[in-house]
Amino acid sequence: MIEKSVSRRSVLAASLAAALSVSLAACGSRPSEKAASETDKPLVIGISLPLTGDFSQPGTEAKRGYEVWADQINKAGGLLGRQVQLKIVDDASNQDTVVSDYTKLITQDKVDLVLGTFSSLLNYAASAVAEKNRMVFVEPAGGAPNMFTRNFKYLFFAQPATAPHQADVFVEWIQSLPADQRPKTAAYPIQDDPFAAPVIESMKKQLEAIGVQTVYTETYPADTTNFQSVAQQMAAKKPDLIAQGAVFEDGVGLIRSLKQLQYSPKIMFQTSAPSNAGQYSDGVGVGSTEGVFYTVSWHQDAKTEKNAEFVADYKAKFSNADPAEDAADAYAAAEVLEAGVAAVGAIDQTKIADWLHANQVTTILGPLSWEATGEPKGKFLLGQWQSGKAQVVAPAEAATTQTVVNPKPDWK
Amino acid sequence: MTLIRRIPRQHLVAGIVLLALILYPVINPWQPYPQGVLLIAFLLAIQASGWNIISGYAGYISLGHSMFLGLGSYTAAIIALHTGVNPLWVAPLGGVTAVVVAVVFGSVVLRTRGHAFVIITIALLLSAQIVATNWDGLTNGSDGITLELPFWSSDFQNIPFYYAFLILLVLAVLFSAWIARTKFGTGLIAIREDEGKAASIGVNTTVFKIMAYGASSFFIGVAGGVYAYYQTFLNPVGSFAILGSVLIVLSALVGGRGTLYGPVLGAFIVSLINEAATVYGGSTQSRVLILGLILVAVVLFLPAGLLPTFIGMYRRRHPVETEYTDQEGALKSAAIVRDRLPSSPVSSAPLLEVRGVTKRFGGLTAVDNADLTVERGSITALIGPNGSGKTTLFNLITGNMQADSGTITFNGKRIEKLAPWTRGHLGLGRTFQVTRLFKDMTVLQNVVAPLPDGRLRTMLADAVSGHEAARARELLGIVGLARFADQKAGDLSYGQQKLVELAQVLMLSPELILLDEPAGGVNPSLLGRLTGVIRELNQAGVSFLVVEHNIPLVLDLCDPVHVFARGSCIASGPPGQIREDPVVLDAYLGDDWRPQDAHA
Amino acid sequence: MAQFVQALALGVLIGGIYALMASGLTLIFGVLRIVNIAQGAFLILVATFTWWLWRATGLDPILASVVTAPLMFGLGWLMHRFVISRIRGQAASMSVLLTFGIALVIEGVLNIVTGNRFRSATPSYFEESFRVGDILLPKAQVYGFLAAMVVLGGLYLVLTRTWTGRAIRATSQNPSAAALVGIGATATAALAFALGSASAGVGGSILSVLYPFFPASHYDWISRLLGIVVLGGMGSLPGALCGALILGLAETLTATYGSLQWSTLVFYLVIMVVLLARPQGLFGARLREDAV
Repeated sequence: MIEKSVSRRSVLAASLAAALSVSLAACGSRPSEKAASETDKPLVIGISLPLTGDFSQPGTEAKRGYEVWADQINKAGGLLGRQVQLKIVDDASNQDTVVSDYTKLITQDKVDLVLGTFSSLLNYAASAVAEKNRMVFVEPAGGAPNMFTRNFKYLFFAQPATAPHQADVFVEWIQSLPADQRPKTAAYPIQDDPFAAPVIESMKKQLEAIGVQTVYTETYPADTTNFQSVAQQMAAKKPDLIAQGAVFEDGVGLIRSLKQLQYSPKIMFQTSAPSNAGQYSDGVGVGSTEGVFYTVSWHQDAKTEKNAEFVADYKAKFSNADPAEDAADAYAAAEVLEAGVAAVGAIDQTKIADWLHANQVTTILGPLSWEATGEPKGKFLLGQWQSGKAQVVAPAEAATTQTVVNPKPDWK
Repeated sequence: MTLIRRIPRQHLVAGIVLLALILYPVINPWQPYPQGVLLIAFLLAIQASGWNIISGYAGYISLGHSMFLGLGSYTAAIIALHTGVNPLWVAPLGGVTAVVVAVVFGSVVLRTRGHAFVIITIALLLSAQIVATNWDGLTNGSDGITLELPFWSSDFQNIPFYYAFLILLVLAVLFSAWIARTKFGTGLIAIREDEGKAASIGVNTTVFKIMAYGASSFFIGVAGGVYAYYQTFLNPVGSFAILGSVLIVLSALVGGRGTLYGPVLGAFIVSLINEAATVYGGSTQSRVLILGLILVAVVLFLPAGLLPTFIGMYRRRHPVETEYTDQEGALKSAAIVRDRLPSSPVSSAPLLEVRGVTKRFGGLTAVDNADLTVERGSITALIGPNGSGKTTLFNLITGNMQADSGTITFNGKRIEKLAPWTRGHLGLGRTFQVTRLFKDMTVLQNVVAPLPDGRLRTMLADAVSGHEAARARELLGIVGLARFADQKAGDLSYGQQKLVELAQVLMLSPELILLDEPAGGVNPSLLGRLTGVIRELNQAGVSFLVVEHNIPLVLDLCDPVHVFARGSCIASGPPGQIREDPVVLDAYLGDDWRPQDAHA
Repeated sequence: MAQFVQALALGVLIGGIYALMASGLTLIFGVLRIVNIAQGAFLILVATFTWWLWRATGLDPILASVVTAPLMFGLGWLMHRFVISRIRGQAASMSVLLTFGIALVIEGVLNIVTGNRFRSATPSYFEESFRVGDILLPKAQVYGFLAAMVVLGGLYLVLTRTWTGRAIRATSQNPSAAALVGIGATATAALAFALGSASAGVGGSILSVLYPFFPASHYDWISRLLGIVVLGGMGSLPGALCGALILGLAETLTATYGSLQWSTLVFYLVIMVVLLARPQGLFGARLREDAV
């Protein structure tokens, strides 16, 4: 039956296969040959973002940030006199797809420039593609320390600091307190997360160095849902400071458990979670947000250059929604690339990278500059929830308020 | 041209596609993007082909198979990190890790039948993620491991990976094809079709399943090592993601699980759809939804997969002529049976001795302190009313059930604690009251499947051609069904299936065959063949224990006859004596039967 | 000592709620021989609906199970009627794939309708506790536990005291014999699937208060529930209760005295050991048909 003979069908299959290979064999050029692009055509920037899947939330915000930037620059006459066109594709939060996306953008679509994607997990793979193809890769996220151990020459992280330096500003604030007001004891519950953990670990080291005694440290897995035991153990130790390496739901979960156990520390610090404005106050209850510290790369009311403009254009474009930190980070990444291209005056990836290594760029996050590895040299902002609103309390030049709530009132 | 004509069509198509894929980068090397898309398709096809061995052939669904890719990646990456060796060169060690993990955990989980395996595969995937996250010293924890960029020129960036995955895919498919050709492969399909029956024909189901799980993991592990280098980065969440497993299962299902090329075809379809969704799909949140809908639709409307459905359509349009039982041809070659029979030392001790065996189900005592002896060279009958415990006793003798107490001795050896397949290897064969052939296998495969011993050599023997297949054809000749060899067993008539089941048992070269109602549902002329074969075999030295309700047949064929009632033996003796025994008449035969009927 | 009692109390409270969630899974398996991978997605679906209801009307999330349980009963019945029953007679593995597909569909729909973000219902009492001596019992946990016990008790009464319940138990023990005495297999299966779904209706409502959730959370939940059911013995209700208590206690005790990082793994290891010694699980019975 199957073994009868070669008939129409297999001939058909063979010709199909042949047709397939011919069509795929459409001529191309070596990836290293860059198309001469000095024309009147728009300048195309290729970006892959996790618009669906696990990271779809920051991915969607980043897309908005990039779009606001492109609208602004096109209104102002474009970059190098050319209109800017964003080519944004979705990678579904998948590492395979992000690699194939950037490969396609760079080698097939021959985009002039690329911008980074969201989350370190995707940027690890994406930055390797860009590096292989010698394209400047400014990433709006991806501050995990390992990013910068590979000695990439075209990688730039467009946030003020990597994870281990995020909490420096908080430690400085504690140091600025009179000795008798400083916390004596501290507890550190930490999610096993590549971005949250280094923040708290480095904070713990610095605080121990200035005499804050560690009474509790616990690393819990990312899927922990039940925080009563953690809360209960901490409450038993009565620490002055609780500094949690939180992502989001664990931040909410721990505060709920602390409330149930009726323990309120004098100072409460959390990474990431409190910066998700609405979701956070919904989760823990608005009253209980009072006095919670966190660090953040950007604030809506910060007096940095172009920030007001960014916020206004964002609101105008997206039905008056408040921009998220992720959108601002993406906007800043685009600003970095813009500065490099404008300074070099041409699309020359190596020259742009050299210039960025040597110079400081002003962004809505404040001034940014980089080590040779692409690691930024700046500082984060210290935020605090006050009367149901997130404020910046340090450093002084970026502060949105002069008051600092200390000690934290009891949970409400 | 005549040579090409003789290659089966599906292999021909596969060969042409392979040639095109090999030539493609040669024709146009400067296209990293389509190469990248294809190599991800190869990777998925490697995984789906591996999955197919345990889940397609053996029918044990694994929902955590992407774990092996992660294990391979981590192995290669960790070695590369600590020794500085390029991960590509140590990728095969990734395969080794995968096999070791599969065999170790498989031997815990696969001792049982059924659902626990599916669940444990998910648990294993998640456990692997937990271990990778928490074993900081080895795996860098949740930070993950970054690797060097490839050492070759970026002009060729994807080509080495393209060929590496293509070679692995070809090897994986060849490996899968080889397994399907061996008795090991036939045994796996037997397990999928009817695990209890498989055990009774000498298939060591535990070992088969564990080996299949190990075999299914090897090439995935090797591919994992290559993949780590391709990605240059790996972390616990990405390496042990459940969606990766979903894609594997989906690929195999879409293409056709249990077939050779189905998983590969499915993998190409799934990964090309996936890429198309990325390029043309825009930014909708619907990817998970679409995957789910496809999975539901495939299970409901295309459970066999594309390839089997196409082949089925083709066969319906080109039907094969059916043939009838070759009753004349039967029995001409009984001598062949004799050649292969075990030459056991002549001994006067009974062949089978059952002493004081008891089996309870809850409050019901099905077999109650029963004794039974089968003399060497006899055709012993076991009769009794329905529910008297005859079939349960069969199950206890063959090991399909474990006795609560008592001893069973076969050929001087205690067997009551042995696994069913070991008893099969010792020379104990059985048929079932309602035939239990593997209905989706061909008649020939059914007869090739039994394993007369537990040696690896036997397991890996060729089942399609060569010595084992030739012997199976001979046995089919004996029962007169040689011309049905390539038919599906499920398509045969009931009586024909009984004969195939007998041929199947003969493949074990048994010394004792337990026949559970051999005459039930068999037409008179076939029944004649059947008794003829039994007598012929008996003369050749095979002993029989027969449960049968056809009393005339029993009295004609068997000596001695044992009568069972309420779980134990109430009378024994030659047929003439049993016929007259008032106890038997009272307990069993009752008013419905009178001695003179036997002569009717 | 107080710490130990506290951990014990929390473990029991959590275990009771896990037991309710796992009861549906084990009930469905007992009667239909189907491992319903979608049970976790049912929980998240209900939790999301409860959250929405609480937001829109202020209805207490735990009380909302009065609404969600009947709704899920209906949904489960329909799902069995139009989807699950279509694969009767096929290999058991197909049911795993089918329910897995259903779980993905639910996740996908939730993704589109509600977005990929965390939610949790926060009624006024969610952060209050009862104080018993030195021990603090969070009110939400206590209410959830009580609701779970009421439902489990009700389920037990239905299964042991009503004709329908006996039909379900008979079918789960011996489907062909049950059919012989006039129990319709299809109707019983539909009923069992609906009851199992309804228990997820209550479980999901409780979940919405106790744990933040988002569409993809169902993987965490289903693996936890499957662990409980495998440990206790597939198809056994007392087994599910026992497995759930073990998991609840294991979680709180390892968190208090050991490291949280390994607690999930410890649980899986316990399952492995149990399977090694008792392949049918702690309470699983070997039935007559299990003979090979």
